[in-house]
Amino acid sequence: MEEKLTREELLHVANLARIKLTEEEIEKYRVQLRKLLDDVEKINEVKGYDDDILIACWDNNTELRPDTEGEMLDPKQVIENAPHHAGNYIEVPVVIGESEGA
Amino acid sequence: MKYLNKGIDEIHELLKSKKIKPIDLVEEAFENIENNKELNAYITLNKEEAIKTAKELEDKEVDNILFGLPIAVKDNICTNGLRTTCGSHILENFVPIYDATIVEKIKEKNMIIIGKTNMDEFAMGSSSRTSYFGAPKNPWNTNKITGGSSGGSAATVSARDVLFAIGSDTGGSIRQPASYTGIVGMKPTYGRISRYGLIAFASSLDQMGPMTKNVYENAVLLNAIVGKDPRDLTSANREEEDFTRFIGKEIKGMKIAVPNFLMGDVVSEEVKNKIKETIELLKKNGAVVDFIDVKYLDQAMILYQIIAMGEASSNLARFDGIRYGFQAENVKNIEDVYLETRGQGFGEEVKRRIMVGSYLLSGENAKIYYNKALSIRDDMRKEFNKVFENYDLIIGPTSVSTAYDLTDPMDDPRKSFMDDVLVIPANMAGLPGMNIPVGFDKDHMPIGMQIIGNSFEEAKMYQLGSFIEKELNLDLTPGGEK
Repeated sequence: MEEKLTREELLHVANLARIKLTEEEIEKYRVQLRKLLDDVEKINEVKGYDDDILIACWDNNTELRPDTEGEMLDPKQVIENAPHHAGNYIEVPVVIGESEGA
Repeated sequence: MKYLNKGIDEIHELLKSKKIKPIDLVEEAFENIENNKELNAYITLNKEEAIKTAKELEDKEVDNILFGLPIAVKDNICTNGLRTTCGSHILENFVPIYDATIVEKIKEKNMIIIGKTNMDEFAMGSSSRTSYFGAPKNPWNTNKITGGSSGGSAATVSARDVLFAIGSDTGGSIRQPASYTGIVGMKPTYGRISRYGLIAFASSLDQMGPMTKNVYENAVLLNAIVGKDPRDLTSANREEEDFTRFIGKEIKGMKIAVPNFLMGDVVSEEVKNKIKETIELLKKNGAVVDFIDVKYLDQAMILYQIIAMGEASSNLARFDGIRYGFQAENVKNIEDVYLETRGQGFGEEVKRRIMVGSYLLSGENAKIYYNKALSIRDDMRKEFNKVFENYDLIIGPTSVSTAYDLTDPMDDPRKSFMDDVLVIPANMAGLPGMNIPVGFDKDHMPIGMQIIGNSFEEAKMYQLGSFIEKELNLDLTPGGEK
């Protein structure tokens, strides 16, 4: 039998990722994620490296840009790129759920 | 009359002497793309705008070698007013309101953007088959994959639709499709090119680069797109240089290392034999070639899985259905918008990687996995530094095999990582890597060699690449030169 994550483990990970899955996907990902997580587990077998870390490979010192007013995107265009908008606002559905009381 | 199969120096002279106009090239490019429609290399064509730009250029002086030349841009690079989908349903209708820095630079040279090329969704994949818009096909055999994720860019250059395409490479996505389609693809040093406007996948690995039919044209395009950019603090402040300056120079005395890992059991015999033949050619011409061991290369795939998936889960958190792109319908509250939009908007591969990445970065796991990966990555980089104390360049195969069938199974979640096992180390260490075609397999599918250079030594890679190109003198036009 193929190794797989429990349903709860998979749903926990899906929730961390804010992704809703169908039943069919849940079953598929239980197997597939197990394989990938088994792969990354192998990192614990690597030995001999020192404690330094490499976050990204740039050799130049990080130069911050000057703190001056720069060019901005047009707010009207930015708002219009949202799927739902009205005037100067982006429209969203209810933020506070009913169960939380009001 | 065809012009886009000529070299850029010749086309430049024709433009300069007014024998042809940019519109001739643009019309030819769209005719080529139409004839090669089956390849599915493009997600969006920029026809109206390209024709308009070409006509406007008629009144301008032909002031640089790239003036008036058509170029294709991968669809994860923002183009103002031109749809940019990242190969995903979630951005199917996304029209950026600004240009990426690389696009600004292309436009400054008066190049003409022909369209946005097909790709794996969010550049996650090695065959371009995760595209929401269907997979592109390999011009050498349309039953085969192009490789990925820059599959559309590779296909359109390989098919000779256009001279130039821009790709992006997080774990081999320029070099691997270049090897499958018989073109030259360069992933420059991390920091060479500003990433502003490139839709981020794994920020510490992502880099864009040129994909062309030959080495010289690749170097010319690289000249135009590099440079420090205040909008990307990881972009490097380097003195201006001409990347073509060593092209045509001899390679006598050049010291080249071949890591044994790159010639290991995972690589097909056919590919290995072709690389060995090329090594013999280099030796015959005075290069010193040694097989060496480089520690940690065999760990590159695991490091990539951890770092790339972790960073992707963070970068792709911005796709929430609120500010741009697709939003799911019939949702009750804001939490539902996130869950449903992302559930419906992302494809299978992307969801898989975001979930694994979220897990790897959650709580204590960040220390157990991500920090450890960064630590081993540092040691791998140090190992590479040691190699470059004694050698000018590293070479090996680009891919473990040649392009496989479009219908090959996609159910193994490890497959796309294993396809890229030879190209990932350069991203890990931020080093420049390039594919150069070196021959064909028994079915006449292209085989590519990878050249890896020390940081900021792309010019030396072009020197070796151009030497191999000249010596082998392969016919790299699918179906033969017309």
